[in-house]
Formats: sequence, C-alpha cells, structure tokens
Amino acid sequence: MNNLKDKIDALLMKVSKPTRYTGGELNSSIKNPEEVKVRFAFAFPDVYEVGMSHLGLRILYHLLNKREDVYCERVFAPWLDMEKLMRENNIPLFSLETKTPLDKFDFIGFTLQYELSYTNVINMLNLAGIPILSRERKGLPFVIAGGPCAYNPAPLSDVIDFFVMGEGEEVINEIIDAYIDWKKKRGEREEFLQIVSQIKGVYVPKYYIEVYNQDGTIKEIRTIKKGVPEKVKKRIVKDFENVYHPEEQIVPFMDIVHDRIMLEIFRGCTRGCRFCQAGMIYRPVREKSKEKILDLADKLIKSTGYEEISLTSLSTCDYSQIEDLVKKLIEKYKDKGVGVSIPSTRVDAVSINLLKEIQKVRKTGLTLAPEAGTQRLRDVINKGITEENILEATKEAFSAGWTNVKLYFMIGLPTETMEDVEGIVDLAYKIVDNYKEVKGNVKNLKVTISTSTFVPKPFTPFQWTAQNSIKEIMEKQDLLKKKLKSKVLKYNWHNPYMSFLEAVISRGDRKVGKAIIKAWEKGCKFDGWEEYFNYDKWEKAFKEAGVNPHFYANRERSLEEVFPWDVIDVGVDKRYLIREYKKSQEGRITPDCRLYCTGCGVKDFDEGVVCFEAPQK
Amino acid sequence: MKRLRNKYIKDERVKFISHLDLLRVFQRALRRADIKVAFSQGFNPHPKISFGPALIVGATTEGDYMDIDLEEDISPEEFRKKMNKVLPPGIEIVESYEVELNDALSTKIKGAEYILQVNVKKSIKYIQNKIEEFMRKDIIEIEKESKSGRKMVNIRPCVLELKVIEEAEDYLKFYIKLKLGEGAPNPLHLLKALNDYLGNLFDIDSYKLHRKNMILE
Repeated sequence: MNNLKDKIDALLMKVSKPTRYTGGELNSSIKNPEEVKVRFAFAFPDVYEVGMSHLGLRILYHLLNKREDVYCERVFAPWLDMEKLMRENNIPLFSLETKTPLDKFDFIGFTLQYELSYTNVINMLNLAGIPILSRERKGLPFVIAGGPCAYNPAPLSDVIDFFVMGEGEEVINEIIDAYIDWKKKRGEREEFLQIVSQIKGVYVPKYYIEVYNQDGTIKEIRTIKKGVPEKVKKRIVKDFENVYHPEEQIVPFMDIVHDRIMLEIFRGCTRGCRFCQAGMIYRPVREKSKEKILDLADKLIKSTGYEEISLTSLSTCDYSQIEDLVKKLIEKYKDKGVGVSIPSTRVDAVSINLLKEIQKVRKTGLTLAPEAGTQRLRDVINKGITEENILEATKEAFSAGWTNVKLYFMIGLPTETMEDVEGIVDLAYKIVDNYKEVKGNVKNLKVTISTSTFVPKPFTPFQWTAQNSIKEIMEKQDLLKKKLKSKVLKYNWHNPYMSFLEAVISRGDRKVGKAIIKAWEKGCKFDGWEEYFNYDKWEKAFKEAGVNPHFYANRERSLEEVFPWDVIDVGVDKRYLIREYKKSQEGRITPDCRLYCTGCGVKDFDEGVVCFEAPQK
Repeated sequence: MKRLRNKYIKDERVKFISHLDLLRVFQRALRRADIKVAFSQGFNPHPKISFGPALIVGATTEGDYMDIDLEEDISPEEFRKKMNKVLPPGIEIVESYEVELNDALSTKIKGAEYILQVNVKKSIKYIQNKIEEFMRKDIIEIEKESKSGRKMVNIRPCVLELKVIEEAEDYLKFYIKLKLGEGAPNPLHLLKALNDYLGNLFDIDSYKLHRKNMILE
C-alpha cells in the first residue's frame, strides 16, 4: 500500500491541482482500516471541488465515521490529466484518506446528483478495476447509489447493485448493520441483496424487470423475486430537529466551488413550482429550530475557522424566522469576520433587507430567479411572483447600492411561445429603466441574464410534457442573443444538446442505460463539462443501442403511461401531480402550502410524517 | 498591535498545497484559535499576514517564515502553542518571536538552503568533479520568461553553494544554497542548467525538493 502511495505521489508532481487527490484536510477522518468492520467509499462522480461542495457527502461522511466499526473514505472522479497518468502507470482508483484501491472496500456508494455524471460512475468503476455491470461482479464490494437522480433508477439498473431512495441518515446505518451481520455469517453475495431488498427504501434492480408495449412504452414493471416490494418507498427523516448534522466539516486546502460552512436549516419546499423536482421529492417541509441552528453554527465556526456560513435549503428566505436568525448570526460573528450567505434570494423586499444585513460583513451579489418572462407563463409553472414583485425588489436593491443583478430564466417551458421569450427581454429592459429612475443614469449597471433549458423531470407535474426540440431552443436563444445586446446587458445560455441529453436520461428506461454504457465505451465522460461533452459520440451510442433519444425527450406522454420510476414511491401522490399538470395547462396557480395544505399526499405517506404548518386533518 | 515572526514546517503530507492555499490555512487556523489578527483597511479588509518567497508546489520545508500582525497581546510562545493545536496535520509553527512593526520580512530574507534529490538515468562518474567544474563557470545562463518575452539570465551570482551530499545508483542528492530576492532562480532552474551542462543525465521531472532553511539578515 505504501508503495502505491509513493507511486501516486510521483504522479501528483505532474498533474494540475494535486490536492484533489491528497486528502489530509482538517477534520477529515483518520482511522486504522484494520480496526473497522466496514470500509465504505463515498464516491462522487465529478471532480473534488464539485463533490466537496455537496452537503449530502459531508453529512454522510461524518455520520458514518462517528461509528467506530465503520471507516468512510472519499473518492472523486480524477480529472483527465490524472486519469491518463493513472491508466499509463496501472494505478487503480484509490480513496483519498488511505490511498486504498476501491476494490478493497465493502461498499462503494455513489451519489447521483446529475444525469450527465453517469458516464463518470461507469468510468470510475472501470478505473478501479471493478466490472461495470452488476451481474459480472463477484464478491465485494457492493456498488450502491442514492441522491435525487436515483429516484429514476432505470438507466443505471445494470450498473448499480442496489439503490437507496430518500434521505440517507437512518437507512445507511440499517444497511451497515445488516452487512456486519451478513459478513459474520459468511453469507453469499446474493443473500445480502435479498436481505437489503427487505429494508425500507432499498431498490434492488435485478429483482425487477421492465415489460414493454409494442410502441416501446412500458407495460408494467414486474417483480421477479418473491417478497420484494411492488413499490419502494423513499425514506423520510421524521425528527429533523434532532437528526444528525455534522458539528465539524472538512476544510479543503484548495478553493472549492462552495467553499464555506454549509448548515442545512430546513428540508423540503412549500412553493410548489411545477418544474422543480427538488421541490417535490424533498417533501415534507421540516425546519430546524433557531436555537438548534445557532448552536450548530457556533460549533461549525469553531471547528472549521471558515469565513462564511451558508444557510442552505431549497428556499432559505422562506425559513420562518429567517430575519431574526440572520441578524443574530451577523451580530455574533461579524467581529470574527464571518459572513453569512443565503444560496437563493426570494424576489421581494424582505429578502433585499436580508441582503442588506448580510452586506455588513461581506459584499454579496444579487441573484433573482423570475424563471419566465411573462405572467402567463409564470402562472403556468406556478412561480408565485409577479412582475411588480420583481421590479420592486430590484428598485429596492438599486436604492441600497447594488449595481449588479443576475437574473435566471428557463426557456422551453411547457406552453411557451415566442412572446413569452420576448417577455424576458422586456423584463430586462424594465429593470434597466428602473435603475435609471433610481440613479439617473446607467453608469456601473450590469444585468446578467442567464437561461437554462427546461428539462422535464420525474415526479413533477411536468413529467408528462415534451421537451422543446433542439431547433426550437436554438431559435429562442438566437432571439435573446439578438435582443439582449446592450452595454449593460449580458446574456448567458446553456448548451441545448446537453439539456437534451439530460432530458433523455432523466426520464430514461433501462434501454437508455445500454446507450449510456455504449457512450462510455466511446470515451464519453465529464459530459457535464462543456469542453468534454461530445454529442456526436452520444448520437452514435444511441444508434448502436437501438434507442431513439427523441422518444424520451420530445414526446408528450399520456396520463395513463407507466413510467420507469413508477416503481418508486416518492411520497407525493400521482393524483396531485396530475391535478397540478392540468391546472398548469389552464394557467391556474396553486398557493404556497404554508398558507394551507394543498394535498400532495406526503402527510399520509407514512406514520409520523409531519409537514410544516400544514393544518392537521 | 504587534508583529510576530514565525518559522514553520510544511511536511510531506501537505507538500502539494499551494502558497495561496497556505494563506487560507493560516487565516482559518487563526479563527479557530480565536486569536485576534489585525486587518488591513479598505473595501475588502484582509488579515495582515505576509510570507517569504513562495515554495514550489510539491516541495517541503522546515524553515519558511511568515509574519502575522495581531490586535491582541499574546506572547509568542502562547501564540505558537495555540496555533499548533488547530493547524492541520503536516503544518507546524516551530518558532515565534516578536519583531518591530516596521520590520518587513521581505527585506530580511537573503537566501535559502535546499536539499534536492533527483533521479538519474544512469550512474554518473566523477560527479563531484563535474559539479566543481560547473561551479567554476562565471556565467550560468537559463532561459526565463518575462513580460517582454524570453530572455537569458545569468544565475551564477545567485548560486552560493552546490554540492552532492548523497550518491546512489538511481539518484543524487544535492545541497544547494541560493540567494533569494527579485529575479532570483529557484533550485529547479539550477537543476535544469546543471542537467544541460551534464548532457541530460537526470530524470528532471522526478525530483524531491526540501527547503532546509531560510537565511535572514
């Protein structure tokens, strides 16, 4: 093993950003692998600086390492320069902490955050010398996966031994306990899969098959093993106040994407935006108390020395005591030079006031997400804000001294017309006028408009809709490129081919999975990185796998269609999604569920599930 | 306000962290240790920490220096102890002492001693003699990139000492003493010049560099 360490060291002299691979950061876990019962490799299928910015990794890493019988180590996708050297020198993919080859672990646990990282999952297994297909693996390790993309497990069903649905804090311990028990009895690999298939939240793909109709849609998802659940229910943490949250956090040496303390203040979202998968799958809404958050903040600041603390959630300004919380944190830590940040800003005056407070310690940008350019379309997607809200908020911000504003929109939303796209332009210019009104000129003003391309996602009210064709998206982008030409405006857009691929995979079935493997064989990896994304290779892969990608991305589904992800129960009732889908077509909005319960079904999902402030039935 | 001069170690475990990374390491360690550091004035205040000449990424040191200006009155010894408790494994302050506030580290550092190990492609006969020959030259030129393009620079005046301290079949170990300052070469520049002189006998990418000491005025 030491020999491997020396070899790796020699390679690190030649690669960019070597601290991606060294480990040894403050608060990383140092244990003797000989003294534990279970070795767990937490695998993130992207580079270090992306993976280390992920809260889920940080929670599960420290949670697992709290156990004396488990050693959780980390592994990321090596950047291309490192991969090349590793392959040339026969160095298998290794863990950061002890530089142990991955095939020596009991578990390799991938988190699936983005469909375009799937080829990296395969590549990492291959780089570790582990067969990429589940059925070809003998002995250890078990390759498991979780995270938001796992809710449609179909595309990676041939690769992953079993998926874990929902929040991992509790179920991961149940899996580990079952494993220790199984290992003691020297059980067969197959036996363990059977054991975990009985743990709530676990989906073992080999026990299910997709049966297709003539037209290629799914007829049914059939269980082929006695006793496995027809539907796998996701896991929900019921006591969110007291659920494990790390009191320390690894402090990377290199500058990572989100280089700050991440403190999760609530889970779930009450807004009900119809395009948003996170808003549906992370229900119910559960807050931590202010006291708990302040206590955790104090411990985290002391243990990391970070200069910034981010209050994370899907919509942080919606936290019920957000103003008081931010004020308290600023007061308490400003002398130490610790700033507060909130990852997303709601479009209203309260949020602007919060930002003003935050500015006292550290300058912060202003980012707003109107998502659509016209009121009609904002109502379709249930983005509960008006143009008035947007203009008021920006005016308030300009008066307070901001000169830079970033606006996020989506194009290709259901029912969108060219008029809606023009609405983005109109709104941008109204904001410019707004600035003129406040400041008398447009000096120093910079408005950045970014559009992403809408990708219909499983478990959302838009799961039945067609994605715009690449041609349509390009027309819309061209219009914006032409009309958003001004000294004070900057327009950013997203590669439409990447969004198309994301749409194919996110609603893909097991057949799409075969194409993913083909694409990897052709050399696809880091597909989420514009400079390495190669659509030509993907096109060939689809052709060879006999998969028509447009069938998945650009086809409108009937309400009766069986989806690959229907084998999973995410807590939100399909009838609610249909209701929301129909309302969207009529342009009717659904209010925030903090006002009253909108009946998504999550409260009745499981015993003891409580959703924030929704009145009891 | 007071200024503490600190000598620190950066060992094998952290040899790949960059100079900028190291600055962040100390800033965050100061916060963990709850030591009040002095901040610069201005739009974006930053803690007053200054380092000596940067070390190459991949090199270790046991003799680098760093100055920190403090708001609070803390003894150098207490400061050192508090910091070492919170620094990540591999970084350690070995000496702290107070200096005048107008005593700038950058003007104090005159030279540095290094240990450099490099792999050789084949064993070299009479290496000691050859090095002496090399050192007898008045001009040792290396190519350096600058804003105005590439140019040849004579580094000989900066090379105070160069000798072999260990010879093995597949590697050589040198002791090197260099002048530091504006435009001064680093040990790899010297290694490259020597390699050219000897006719490309080193495997120049596989080296180990250690800064043994910095020479302060």
